[in-house]
Order: sequence, then structure tokens, then C-alpha cells
Amino acid sequence: MEAADEWLLQSLRLSGAKWLELFRLQGVGLHGLRGHSGLCQGGRAGQGGSPHRVPGSSCPPHEGVCVAGYGQSDGNEILQLIPPPTLLTKETQGLCPERDFKVECGGFSERPVYSLKYVPNTSLLVTSGPPDSSLQVWQVSAENSDVIKSVSTIATESGTGQSWAKIATISARAPWVLHGSRLDRVQITEVESRKNVYTAASRGSEELSNLAFLDCNTVLLCCATGRLCLADTRQPQSLVEAASVPSAPCSEQWCMGTRHAAQGLEPSSQPVARLSSRGLLTLTDLRKTSELLALAKARVSSPGSEFLCVSWAPALEGYLAISGFDGTVHVYDTQSWDSSGREAEPIFVHRGHAFGGAGGSEDPPLVTVHTWHLQKPRTLLSAASDGSLHVWDWVQPCGKCG
Amino acid sequence: MFCWCFPGVSLVCILVSIAGKNVMLDCGMHMGYNDDRRFPDFSYITQNGRLTDFLDCVIISHFHLDHCGALPYFSEMVGYDGPIYMTHPTKAICPILLEDYRKITVDKKGETNFFTSQMIKDCMKKVVAVHLHQTVQVDEELEIKAYYAGHVLGAAMFQIRVGCESVVYTVTAWIDKCRPDLLITESTYATTIRDSKRCRERDFLKKVHETVERGGKVLIPVFALGRAQELCILLETFWERMNLKAPIYFSTGLTEKANHYYKLFITWTNQKIRKTFVQRNMFEFKHIKAFDRAFADNPGPMVVFATPGMLHAGQSLQIFRKWAGNEKNMVIMPGYCVQGTVGHKILSGQRKLEMEGRQIVSWILNFQFPALKIPQNNLWIWSSTWLVVFLLEVKMQVEYMSFSAHADAKGIMQLIRQAEPRNVLLVHGEAKKMEFLKQKIEQEFNVSCFMPANGETTTILTNPCIPVDISLGLLKRETAIGPAPDAKKPKLMHGSLLMKDNSFRLVSPEQALKELGLAEHQLRFTCRVHIQDPRKEHETGLRVYNHLKGILKDYSVQHLPDGSITVESILIQATAHSEDQGTKVLLVSWTYQDEELGSYLTSLLKKGLPQGTP
Repeated sequence: MEAADEWLLQSLRLSGAKWLELFRLQGVGLHGLRGHSGLCQGGRAGQGGSPHRVPGSSCPPHEGVCVAGYGQSDGNEILQLIPPPTLLTKETQGLCPERDFKVECGGFSERPVYSLKYVPNTSLLVTSGPPDSSLQVWQVSAENSDVIKSVSTIATESGTGQSWAKIATISARAPWVLHGSRLDRVQITEVESRKNVYTAASRGSEELSNLAFLDCNTVLLCCATGRLCLADTRQPQSLVEAASVPSAPCSEQWCMGTRHAAQGLEPSSQPVARLSSRGLLTLTDLRKTSELLALAKARVSSPGSEFLCVSWAPALEGYLAISGFDGTVHVYDTQSWDSSGREAEPIFVHRGHAFGGAGGSEDPPLVTVHTWHLQKPRTLLSAASDGSLHVWDWVQPCGKCG
Repeated sequence: MFCWCFPGVSLVCILVSIAGKNVMLDCGMHMGYNDDRRFPDFSYITQNGRLTDFLDCVIISHFHLDHCGALPYFSEMVGYDGPIYMTHPTKAICPILLEDYRKITVDKKGETNFFTSQMIKDCMKKVVAVHLHQTVQVDEELEIKAYYAGHVLGAAMFQIRVGCESVVYTVTAWIDKCRPDLLITESTYATTIRDSKRCRERDFLKKVHETVERGGKVLIPVFALGRAQELCILLETFWERMNLKAPIYFSTGLTEKANHYYKLFITWTNQKIRKTFVQRNMFEFKHIKAFDRAFADNPGPMVVFATPGMLHAGQSLQIFRKWAGNEKNMVIMPGYCVQGTVGHKILSGQRKLEMEGRQIVSWILNFQFPALKIPQNNLWIWSSTWLVVFLLEVKMQVEYMSFSAHADAKGIMQLIRQAEPRNVLLVHGEAKKMEFLKQKIEQEFNVSCFMPANGETTTILTNPCIPVDISLGLLKRETAIGPAPDAKKPKLMHGSLLMKDNSFRLVSPEQALKELGLAEHQLRFTCRVHIQDPRKEHETGLRVYNHLKGILKDYSVQHLPDGSITVESILIQATAHSEDQGTKVLLVSWTYQDEELGSYLTSLLKKGLPQGTP
């Protein structure tokens, strides 16, 4: 029996994997959708994360998932998908009449989309990608059309060696986008007027791996070297640096994951996780940035790539997921971690992408991005370089609650 | 070419007008309506005049009711006597499904404006069954050809051709590279992205497994010719692999009918089924046995496949009634259920159903007839059958399983990629926004994409190929001139195109003239060249002759007795200028055919005669 069939039957017996859905988006684009780098999940407004509300429409705000292609040529698609009802309801249903994702609307991007974020409380989304660090603004869901239209471009000064910009969005005083490709090129731009609102002080020119809004006044910047900086947008010169990550003999890339601010909780009370391409994970409490809260090592089969991704579970205390090393996604419970740096055992490993392959001759697929379902506690979505999109969960082994 | 669509998510009926021929593609019924809206409104087609005169033929793609359900109504109640084409399996299965559906609608629901059993029979008499890859000549100009479609048993894709215009109609995503002018495809699910079949199969197995593990029974109502066989193979493999012991049954009515059709149409089944059929009989599985009514009462877990698929009658309904009350059991519905059936009700969430039953009620009567002096008590047993309606509470789990084969977004792109049509037309039911898909198709394949609404006409321009015959004589003559033509150096040929009675011929000009009865006109040009020469004309002429003779060594230059010079067929004469004695006028005269040489000579002579020429 083929390995894939074997795995499928195996997964039925595992205590994990209650149900599993596979969506193959391969072959949708001209050169095949190479994978989805911008997997951005919307949620109801007010839930934090990347809320996406459909304005001016008579139906209530709904959840959507946006995927985009990052192929070399133009004609990359941006698709906003409505998940099937099975995902929208809290109870897990088995075989349901409506199992398909619906393409709610789509658009075409001339450049590969490396990063994609919704702008909360608007019908806009922002993308970025090579060859430069400018941003593209799109209008989603117009009245009579299902085409995602390009609206404007936020240009940035081009310099040598500039790669694509990392982005984060917020709608506090106005819809803002925080963006930059390097530590010395970080700025906040108002999305609609394209006016510059804030420019961060320069503290070096390292490449950024990601950035985030903690609230409308505080931003978090993570460099590829692992350097983590906090800035207060009301004081342009202020930049607080957090405890550094352990140095490594060979160069490694770092990225960060911040907790979606749940209602009522102080955003800064959630630890920030940093993940390295070797599999090292550090946790930092932002109220006490001078030291690391925890340090652990994930068991990874191969060094991580440009698709390193770490994220916190919105509905499970202390759970995070990592991906970008191979075709798997690991889920960890960090509550028992300390600063010793010993190897951590994952709660669950999703291997579906590795077994989805169409042909054996192709490279094994690499998970390009993952994200958590905002309401369902143990549900994740992950996308891989072969164009597959998985929605999956796991069953907690006996003896544990949550 | 015109194309025009009827409405509805759940019915397909398309009218195509190609080079003056009118073809109806499918004639479906809308399963969701109980009134006249369930059938297409055929008055759209032609206000006056009979449908038989207007339509050249009707083509049915497969036996699903949303594609053929309105056929008896159309042919017998509205009136159509022309040919109806479909594949052999479709012709065999259609009447069964139509009759089945008619029974439910009329007998069970008591509707009146519906076709009768006789109408179904009469309609089928008008059907001409076709084989795959068989070109059927509907009339002198219209021909159709069926290709394997793989959707359900007997489903076919049709290519319709009139001269060099062609249309391909398909409901699924399997197609040849046929390069039609227009590809029409159903696009109900075009904006969805379906999850993998493997995933659904996995979910199905998981549900069955879980139920059986906890001691419950699984009922799977199926159509004899649906996915039952594939699901059997799936379960068989799973049972073998997991070493499961619970029995799996297949109801006998199912096997007989299905076996019969599969044997008849084995070439139509898919790879998986054909492979197992070759190895063994269709239903000789290791773990799957024939069902007996009595087994339904056996304790313990089991899985049963039973007909009919919508739980509206027969064995599956009987088993359902027995098992419905136990929450450990499960029923997995295989697909769409028509309104009014038990299947539809439970899928809609109803959990208390009114069921009919026949109950034999007996009375034991004790009579005494003292007057008749009959000593003993007489016991009389009087029985009658009562129709009883009771409430069935459904506690068993109800699951729905969908293995729909309709093309999703990815499927449609694949279809277009394989067929390479020049235009695409998407038939859709809902007035959905599909601007994005339209753009995607247009961008990726560089074709025009149309999505007409109900009643809307779409016009598509086609580029016809015009065949032209060339006369052998002309061909021989032209190829003899100059070097032989090769692939890298195309040769230019000259001829006359004659268009007569829809035929085109390329012939030599002489032949054309002859056929047309026209005389050939000669065109001659004369040019005057002035040269300075005081001598007499004939001396000038001689000078010109010597000059040309010296230069044009490859040409035949002659001096005629009358003083004129010929170069090939070009004539040159020297004449005196009327006013100026020192100037001579050379008249250079040539026919149209010698244009090139003529111009050359003229320009040569304009340069004048060199001094030393005698």
C-alpha cells in the first residue's frame, strides 16, 4: 500500500486528528500556485488578530481566509475564500453537505505576494513582495463585483539591497500599516491617505523578519538576527531592546510570534516567542525585557528556511505552533518550559502535507505558513509549497484537559 | 453561433444555434420545485411553429434527472417528434429513473400535471442510441459524436459539428484536445474549491469505523448505479487492512440489477471497477456478503448497502425503520434527496417522522347462539389489515456524504486547458458574481468567456475554414516554373479563384476565361523616352540596337527590317520629334506581363546612349 494511503489509515487510528480536510489549490494559476505565503485569517471585528469585516453589506461580518501566490512570474492570484460551514460552527461535524471552500473574490497581482494583511474595519488589504519594499493596497468585495482591485501603491524610498517589506496593520485612530524591510526603514503610513505618520529611529540596518502592533502606540520589531525591539510611536526616538537570543556558531534566521490580544487583556502581558532556523525557541515577557522567560529547542529535521513561522494559539493558554522546516507543523505547550534550553516534546505534529504529494519526483512540500482558527481551540490552517491548504485539528490525549 | 440557457441551479437545458442548425442540449428538471417551475418554459424557444420543425435534434448527456427529467414532458406533453440522442447506458437507465421519480411524485404526492408511464415509453421510442466515437449524421450538414465523460455510467461529452464550426458540450472535466469553436460547461460549482476525494473517503471510513466500534449498525442507502461499487471496494480494503470483523452486506436487489448493467456496459466503467471486475465477479468480495431481510434483526455491528438511495421505499426504508430508534446506529445518505422522501426529511433535520405501516389487526370473537342450540362456544377470528400511521423517532446518527463529480474552479480550468477551445461559455444557475473566474479564464487562455443569464442570447463569431480546390494543370504549371518549393521557401503562385455554388476553385487564368466565356484583354504600355540625337530615325534605331545588344547579353535583342528593335517581347521604335530635329523619341512598348523588363529598359534608355555607339 502506498505510503500516503498507509498514513491516511494510520491517522484514523491515532488519538489525534479527529477530522481532516485537504484542499488542493494546485494548478489554479498559470504556472501552478507555488504556495501560499499570505495566509491571513479574518475574524469578527473586535476579536483582535486580523479582523475582517465586510463593510456596507447587510450580512454580519464573516470569517474569511485569504491566500495568495508567490510565483516568479506575474499573474499571481489573491483569493479570498469562505470556509465551509464545518469550519464556522463550533461543534465538529463529520460529513457535511457543504465541504467546499468558496472563492468569494479574487484578484491578480503582478508581483509575487510575500506578505498579506487585512486592514481592520475597512475593505482593504495590503500586500508586499519583491522586487522592492513598496506596498500594494487592494479593495476587496465591491458591490457588484467579485474582483479584488488594486487601489494604490505606498511607495517607499528604494535603497540598495532592499528586500520586500514586512507588514502589520491596525485601525485605531485611522487605518495604519506598519512596514519596513530593514530596521532603519520602519514607518507607519496611513493607508487611505498614504501619509507618513511615524518613522522609527534608526538603530541598525539589519533585515527585519517581522513586525507587529501591540496596541496603537506600541510596535514590536524583530530582526532576522534575532534582535527584538520595542518602540513607542509617540516618542520617535525611543527604542527599547529586549534580551538577546543565544548566539550561534553559524548564522541562523529568527522570526517572532505575538499573541493576538484577547479582549480585556493587556497586550504586553503576553510573551513574545522567537523561533530560529535551527529550532530554538525563546519566550520574552515584555514587561521584563531584560531576560528571557523561557528557552527550548524543537526537534527539527532540517534547518528552517525563509518560511519560518511561529504563532500563538488564540484560544489555548500557552500553546504555540511552528513551521517552515519541512512539510510538518508542530504544536507545543509552553507552560512547562524553563530557561534550560532542553529539547521540548511537541503535543502534536501535523504530517498531512508531506503525504499529499502528487508525484514522487517533486521536492517534498514545505509548509509556507500556518495560522490558528480564532474560535475553535485546536484548529489550525496551514499551506504548503505544493499549493495545498489544510485545515486540521487534534484530539487532546487522555488525562489532559483543554 | 448562438447559445441560450435555461435557468436554475438544478436544471440544465441549453439551446445552441450553429450554422443555422438548432440543437437542444439536455432537458432537465428542477428538483426543488413542485409546480410548473420544475420544467423549462419551452415557449421561449419558438412562439409559433412546432418544436419539431425548429429543432434539429436533442442530445442528453447523462441520466441524472436535472439533465433528462423533463424529457417526457417535452416530447409528449409539449410536443417534439424529432430525434433524441444519448448513449446506450443512458437510454437503458433513463426510463427507470424517470419512472421511479414519476411514482414518487404522482403516487405518493398526488400531483396531476405530470407525465405518465406511457409517455415515458413513447418518449424513449424517439431515442436514437449512439456509440462512443461514432459520428452520427443527423442530416446532411449536422453531425454529432459522443466521447467518454466518466461522470456517471453512460455519461458522454458531445461534439456537434456543422461544416467547420463545432461546439463541445460537457458536464465534467474529462475531455480530449478537440479544439472546438465553443466549449460549453456547467459551472454550478465554479467558484468553489473542493477538498480532495481522499479526504472525504477518509472521513467516510472514520464514521463507519467509529459506529461499528461502538457496536452500532451503519445503513448506506444507495442507487444501484451510483458510487456503491466504489464504496464497497473502499470498505473492503479498509476491513482487510484493519482486520475488522463486523459483517458488511449488500442487498440482493441491488446486486442483480447493478450486475446486469455493469456486465452490459463494462467498457463504460472506470478503471477501479473494471480492475476488480476482471479479477472476480463484481460482488464477490471477501468481506461483503449478500443481505437477507432477517439479518437486519441480528444483534451487533454491521454495515448494509441497500436501495433505494433516497429512503423513499423498499428495503432501505424497511431497514431504516428498524434501526432508527437506536442512537448507536448511523445512516449515511449518499447524495441529494428529492423533496418528500424520508431521506430529504432527515437531512433537513427532522427527527420525528410520520411513517405508514400496514398493521394486521385481529379480533377474537366469542359468540354464543343459544337459539340455534349450538352447544359450544364459537370462536371466530376476524382479521383485517389496517393502514396505520405512527410516529418514528429518529435517534440514529444522520450523516451526509457527497462525492459530487461536478467540476470546481480547478476542474474548469483543467477542462479548458485540455480542450483548447476558442471561446468558453459557462452555464450557471444562480446569478452569481463570476467576474474573477471570467478574467482568470480570459487571461490564462486568451479566449473569450461568456456567462449568459437566463433567456440571454450570446453571439460568438467563428472563423470558418474555406477549402479551395486547385486545378491540377495550374499546379503542375506553377511548380514547373523556377525552383521547387520547400518548407523554408514558400513559393508564390498565381491563379484565378472561381466561386460557384459554394465551391471554390483555383484555376489558371486561361481556364477561368474559358469557363466564364470571356475574352482575354491585352494591356500594353507605351513609354516615350527622349534622347539627343540629330541623326535620322533609322540610324538612331541602329544605335539603340547596338547599345542594347551590348548590354543585355542574356536577352534576345533583335533588329527588325522596319527599323524597330525587340527585346524579348518588348518593342522599341525610334521616331522623330515633331518640333526639335535634334531630339529623337523612342517609343518603348510592352504588355502588362513584361512590366518589369519594360520599366528596366525605359530607365536604361533614359540614361541616354553612350557617345561612342555607332
